[in-house]
Amino acid sequence: MERQRKAQLAAALGAIVGRDGVITEEDELRVYECDGLTIFKALPELVVLPRTREQVEAVVRLCHRERVYFVPRGAGTGLSGGALALEGGVIIGLNRMGHILEVDVPNHRAVVESGMVNVWLTNKIAGDNFYYAPDPASQTACTIGGNVAENAGGVHSPKYGVTTNHVLGLEVVLPDGEVVEFGGKALDPPGYDLTGVFVGSEGTLGVCTTVTLRILPKPEAVKTLMGVFESIDDASNAVSDIVAAGIIPACVEVMDNLSIQAVEKGVRAGYPTDAGAVLLVELDGPRAEVEALVEPVSRVMRQNRVREIRIAKDDAERLLLWKGRKAAFAAMGQISPDCYVQDAVIPRTKLPQILREIAAFSREYGLQVANVFHAGDGNLHPLILYDGRNERELHKVEEMGAKIMRRCIELGGSITGEHGVGREKRDYMPLMYTEADLEAMLKVKRAFNPDGLMNPGKIFPTSKTCVEAGAAGRDGIRYRPHRLELMGLAQRF
Amino acid sequence: MVDSAVLAKRARDVVGAEHVRTGPAAAPFAVDGVTPGVVASPGSEEEASRLLAAAYELEAAVAPWGGGTKMGLGAPPRRLDLVLSLARLNRVVDYEPADLTATFQAGMSLASVQAHLGEKGQFVALDSPFGARATIGGILAANASGPRRLPYGSARDLVIAVRIVHADGTVTKGGAKVVKNATGYDMNKLYIGSLGTLGILTEATFRLYPLPAVEETHLSAFPTLEAAGAAVAEILGSPLVPHAVELLSAGAAPAAARAAGISWAAGQVGLAVLMGSVPEAVRAQLQDVARFCRGAGSTADHLVTGAAHTACWDAIREFPGPGAPRSLVLKGSVPLTRVPELMSRGEGLAGQRHLPCQAVAEAGSGIVRFYVDAASAPPERAADYVETVRGVAAELGGHLVVLEAPLPVKRRVDVWGPVGKALRVMQGLKAQFDPKGILNPGRFVGGI
Repeated sequence: MERQRKAQLAAALGAIVGRDGVITEEDELRVYECDGLTIFKALPELVVLPRTREQVEAVVRLCHRERVYFVPRGAGTGLSGGALALEGGVIIGLNRMGHILEVDVPNHRAVVESGMVNVWLTNKIAGDNFYYAPDPASQTACTIGGNVAENAGGVHSPKYGVTTNHVLGLEVVLPDGEVVEFGGKALDPPGYDLTGVFVGSEGTLGVCTTVTLRILPKPEAVKTLMGVFESIDDASNAVSDIVAAGIIPACVEVMDNLSIQAVEKGVRAGYPTDAGAVLLVELDGPRAEVEALVEPVSRVMRQNRVREIRIAKDDAERLLLWKGRKAAFAAMGQISPDCYVQDAVIPRTKLPQILREIAAFSREYGLQVANVFHAGDGNLHPLILYDGRNERELHKVEEMGAKIMRRCIELGGSITGEHGVGREKRDYMPLMYTEADLEAMLKVKRAFNPDGLMNPGKIFPTSKTCVEAGAAGRDGIRYRPHRLELMGLAQRF
Repeated sequence: MVDSAVLAKRARDVVGAEHVRTGPAAAPFAVDGVTPGVVASPGSEEEASRLLAAAYELEAAVAPWGGGTKMGLGAPPRRLDLVLSLARLNRVVDYEPADLTATFQAGMSLASVQAHLGEKGQFVALDSPFGARATIGGILAANASGPRRLPYGSARDLVIAVRIVHADGTVTKGGAKVVKNATGYDMNKLYIGSLGTLGILTEATFRLYPLPAVEETHLSAFPTLEAAGAAVAEILGSPLVPHAVELLSAGAAPAAARAAGISWAAGQVGLAVLMGSVPEAVRAQLQDVARFCRGAGSTADHLVTGAAHTACWDAIREFPGPGAPRSLVLKGSVPLTRVPELMSRGEGLAGQRHLPCQAVAEAGSGIVRFYVDAASAPPERAADYVETVRGVAAELGGHLVVLEAPLPVKRRVDVWGPVGKALRVMQGLKAQFDPKGILNPGRFVGGI
């Protein structure tokens, strides 16, 4: 954008949100050049920070009229490069719209502005003994609007689902500036499920300004068990047997030996460093149910040669059992200069197989891989360890990452379980979906965003042919802890 | 006008003459009094695709047909040339008990699905009515649900992947056969509840659940809906995890009581609370429920178990039961706390118009169903009743849809009700997916 036009645009935006709501200086714009996936960078031309729905409406109308690209952004904690202004243009930051508009406990509903930080809602309703269930690892920093865009998950997804299962209504500013409402407090509104298709649409269909959420009574009891296993296979088999026993725990998480070693170097959670794997199982619900399930779960672990079972007696012990799992990603810095986080999904029963294959790739490429996974959903986070200063290692990581993703698809999985497609995986979409499948999705996009001004370059491949994994980026793939992690405000799962 | 004979020939070319009906044989497949010229049953997704491609070319209007249990849903079709029956697409495609996922073709009945999964102690957590005849495709197209949506959600929470044949015959898939998937748009959400207006479902993959170890129910009688509502509020505000909370009007309760083998005092409202879990947790929670009910003024409390339990919930789910008059059925949806009020005002308004009416509500979900005998009433009176109750639902913060109505009543009301400015986006979607408007034209919201 040439300077005069940019200045005019900045002035027009300033007239809507006030001068202190527009960022024009490059050093301040740099904050918005990437999100949680720091390999991709794109400097926006302007950032605007509205405070009200009316301001969002006016900003979007202006961008539409002026034919300027615009991208909505929450806290920027996303892990697929979704909040980047890839074609320049304006970033609309929703962080100044973080109010909780209504808490309606008897109806199990809350209505919040989309810039509200996820955990604020649970904090607000804790006194009523209620909570908001989807708890992504970044919940102390990420916003509900971002959760809606990515259909964010969290460790409680085996039992409580993900964001889409808890969003009942949206107020949305469409890409031409028109404001519409989808859904509301009452279930099953007539017509197409626009709320449902908007969740997980990665900010490409409109800017949501208000969200109607389901809130739940807190479970009466919570019980956390940790099993220490000699091998990942034993831990995975234990998970399968828990499912076969008809038990759906609230959380089921596994970490392998390499992750345990990193974690013990970092936070000393007391995980045995010679264990093949640890399995964390959390049960919640009515007290009688939780208490009745502890023994069956323990029995399953014993039947799978568990070395030791720890059961938390109280909240303090429960936090200790979780401490290691929560520190896993950040702890990789203890054992490696760099780390690439993948988000892979396979059917649960294929977990042992994909792990064996990842181990084989690891040997083939000479790169260590630590595995941390949501064993309850088959959602795997292989953490590929490498040294970013070594150009050859970067290429190896890209190749290996692509191979893992391809194998997951071949085994009946998905290219992303919770981090979304964004910029990072858009060229892998053809691995999973045919041209006709993608064309159906593009029809949806056209119905909402016919001009293509909103959030370009996300989700869909930019060319017809399947681009090789080299598209991951020239700058290399680095896991650097986000500054919020370093500040102790966020943890990564 | 589409030439029926040409359409019939094209259909025979695709599926074979033995799977095509025309003339009087097509009469049972009328939709709101409109008889199609041709009824065809494809035996595979490929045949369904070719059939639709032919219809698209001829600009023939198509209605998909599963078990025919919900064909009364929606406005009368603007036109109808071809009924596409999914009856022959009735296989299990895949089932992995250890993954808790399974894929079924759209023509399979819900009862067959549950029978298949029940052998491994699992089920699809959908208990919509007409289970013996209702098909997966129809249940999803109508977004039908039942009492057990409370803990498990409805179809949009349970379906993880679909296969769709589009208006021009193109076949696509949505979602993935794994429970965690954030890849691209959630197309499943659009197709479910779309009444076949964006495409015809041929397959659906579900997340499954283990059957609860034990299910038992507390059935109590209350003098008023208000009192029962107070018990409901206590239950829903507590950490109890009921699998169903059903409010039954005084007119509806006796059917459930009879099925449960319980005698029922006249004029008493019913509250049925279902618990499903390990035995210790079921008993402990039902004791809490009993305490809440007595505290709210229940006049009788019963524990229902075993065969009586199954019969009781069959009666509730299939209310008012086969053979009972059910000419006008309305589904209201309001915030939870407004359920008793919607029920009592809806019944009162029906009474004022001399329309026999019974109401059953999923109190934990905010859904109220009114079953009205409008067969002998003038259609204007029934239509006026619909619009008045819809007004009450809106006043209470919700909406109301007509599930079934006699044709003269349908012609006088908007069966779906208003959808506000979102209609523009819905029309845009329809224009993208079915530009020629051949899929169920006129039956959906806003005349889509």
